[in-house]
Amino acid sequence: MFVPGTLFNVVSRSVSTSTVCNQIIKLTRLRVVDNSEIGKAAMMEGKPPRCIHVYSKTGVGYIGDRVLVAIKGEKKKGILVGLKQRQNAKVPRFDSNNVVLIDDSGTPLGTRIHVPIPHILRTIMRKNTHSKGADYTKLLAIATKFV
Amino acid sequence: MTMVSRLWCQKTWQNLALAKVLGKEPKTFSTLVQLKTDEAIDDNDSQAQTNDELIKSPSLGNYRLVYPEFLPDPNPLFRNGIREKLERMDMLNRRSVLSIPEFYVGSILAVTYSDPHAVGKINKFVGICILREGCGLRSSFLLRNVVNGEGVEVHYDLYDPAIQKIDCLRLEKRLDDELLYLRDAPLEYSTFPFDMEIEAKISESIPVNDIKIPLNPLPWSQRWERYNLKGVKEIVVNERRQKKAAALAKPWEKYDLMKTYRETIPEEEQNEIFSDVYTKLNELEIQKNILKRKYMLQRQKSSKTRTL
Amino acid sequence: MNQAKVEKLVSRLRYNVGPKPRKLKNVDGSEGRLRKIKKTLTAVIKYERIELNYARADETRGYVERLISEALRHGPEHVETMELANFWINEKQLVHKLFKVLVPRYQNYTTSFTKLHNAPCIYPGYAYKRAILELRGNIYPTVEQSNPHQHNLLHNILLDAARKEYRMEKYKEIAANMNF
Repeated sequence: MFVPGTLFNVVSRSVSTSTVCNQIIKLTRLRVVDNSEIGKAAMMEGKPPRCIHVYSKTGVGYIGDRVLVAIKGEKKKGILVGLKQRQNAKVPRFDSNNVVLIDDSGTPLGTRIHVPIPHILRTIMRKNTHSKGADYTKLLAIATKFV
Repeated sequence: MTMVSRLWCQKTWQNLALAKVLGKEPKTFSTLVQLKTDEAIDDNDSQAQTNDELIKSPSLGNYRLVYPEFLPDPNPLFRNGIREKLERMDMLNRRSVLSIPEFYVGSILAVTYSDPHAVGKINKFVGICILREGCGLRSSFLLRNVVNGEGVEVHYDLYDPAIQKIDCLRLEKRLDDELLYLRDAPLEYSTFPFDMEIEAKISESIPVNDIKIPLNPLPWSQRWERYNLKGVKEIVVNERRQKKAAALAKPWEKYDLMKTYRETIPEEEQNEIFSDVYTKLNELEIQKNILKRKYMLQRQKSSKTRTL
Repeated sequence: MNQAKVEKLVSRLRYNVGPKPRKLKNVDGSEGRLRKIKKTLTAVIKYERIELNYARADETRGYVERLISEALRHGPEHVETMELANFWINEKQLVHKLFKVLVPRYQNYTTSFTKLHNAPCIYPGYAYKRAILELRGNIYPTVEQSNPHQHNLLHNILLDAARKEYRMEKYKEIAANMNF
């Protein structure tokens, strides 16, 4: 009786049983799309980071929002650069929820983003940047392709 | 000064058109039988004949396939004769400025649009049309492509004033009405190069691409085994899901006569709508064809010079 | 706002079609609903006039109209129409009636093919709204019988006027004959 139960547990651990959530909320799995060491390692291991906080009033993350992620036992900040959920007209929707890791000053941890970035992110990042606070526009400099 | 006069002219023209519409409107409120008798009294035989020819001609017959967004929502709760007419006029005005090509779900489109966020304020996206929805000015389409190994979908309104150019790069149909299953198919089936050129049109009828696409292994974004898809190879799911799909299948739905009636616009009404816009659309089509032929000739010439 | 489906062309029905289909109560859901309608539709084509509950009659009316209009449009050679007739009509000899009797009958109609009348409730009993559904052009006497004593009918108005005139003449005669 005991053995099948444990077997089932082992099998089910590799499969996500929760339904598809089209919003970025706490505990949503994200995909790191830059070439930072920690991000690459987490994605290679098959343990993508989880969002543990969204820096917004509603607690739901939209494109360009800052999130706190739990990645390889560490807490890192990231910016949502592409979402699965339905977007407004002319704003691209992606096949995965993409995040780029940054540090507290807004500098990205990696040096390259290997997926396309929506053009609208330029405007959003510029709007979020304050002269005395963090500078998020550095993220745009490491993007390879805009759509 | 010229600008002002032109603006004034346009405004007066619009007002006139509006007055025309309002004048016509009471007729549409009257019953069908009355309308018929009116026509019989007003028009002589020859005109009636031409009307019949218009209705029976094949070009007006396939207008419903080429311009589905000119037909209103079949739900009577959303119907409003005046609004529909005004929208149709606006659509024609937009079409006279921007040439919107004929396209279907499965065609490959290139959309050039002004984007305030982009560097040169102009952006271009190429992709396969996987969905067409909405009617009137709100009609829209969804393009899908793969960029740098990442699936990207962009949703456009067909009559968006920001759109500068729409090109149909490959005109073809697929076996299904919606190709949303491409999201769960291997990426190569939705990959199209951004520098694709317009393919020369070969035949008069629209070719149907009967490609069958394999799906990725589970998990999927939707339960595709329940959708009765024709363009998918074979859907392999476990027995439980098969049973559930079989239990939820509705083979009798195709016999539900009133359901099909409530989902569509009757032929008489379609003819009324399309005979309203027929002359303008036909003009635009002729213009489009001339431009297309010119483009093709130019391309042939340039390719010849290149080979020489 | 949904796009209208354009693959199939249909003729316009000549009665006021309700915006939503009625849910006829059934444990089998929409399949059972169609089975119920099939029964009524077969009866309508067979007897040409039936009395039943209003909701079911009104619901069936659309299906009868659509079936006849499809038969008119495509004729018996069209495979899909034949399939439809086969599905909807339970008694197969009535398929012949549809194509050979009803289609010629309704060839030049400019009105609806069916007619729905309100019928009185059954008393005593539950006050369900009842109706009479009939095919137009049937052999029975009409359901709607006009009351010959209605005073706004033309002959009654004329008779009234004649009576009044006669009376006025009579009064004049009496007045002339009076001696004071």
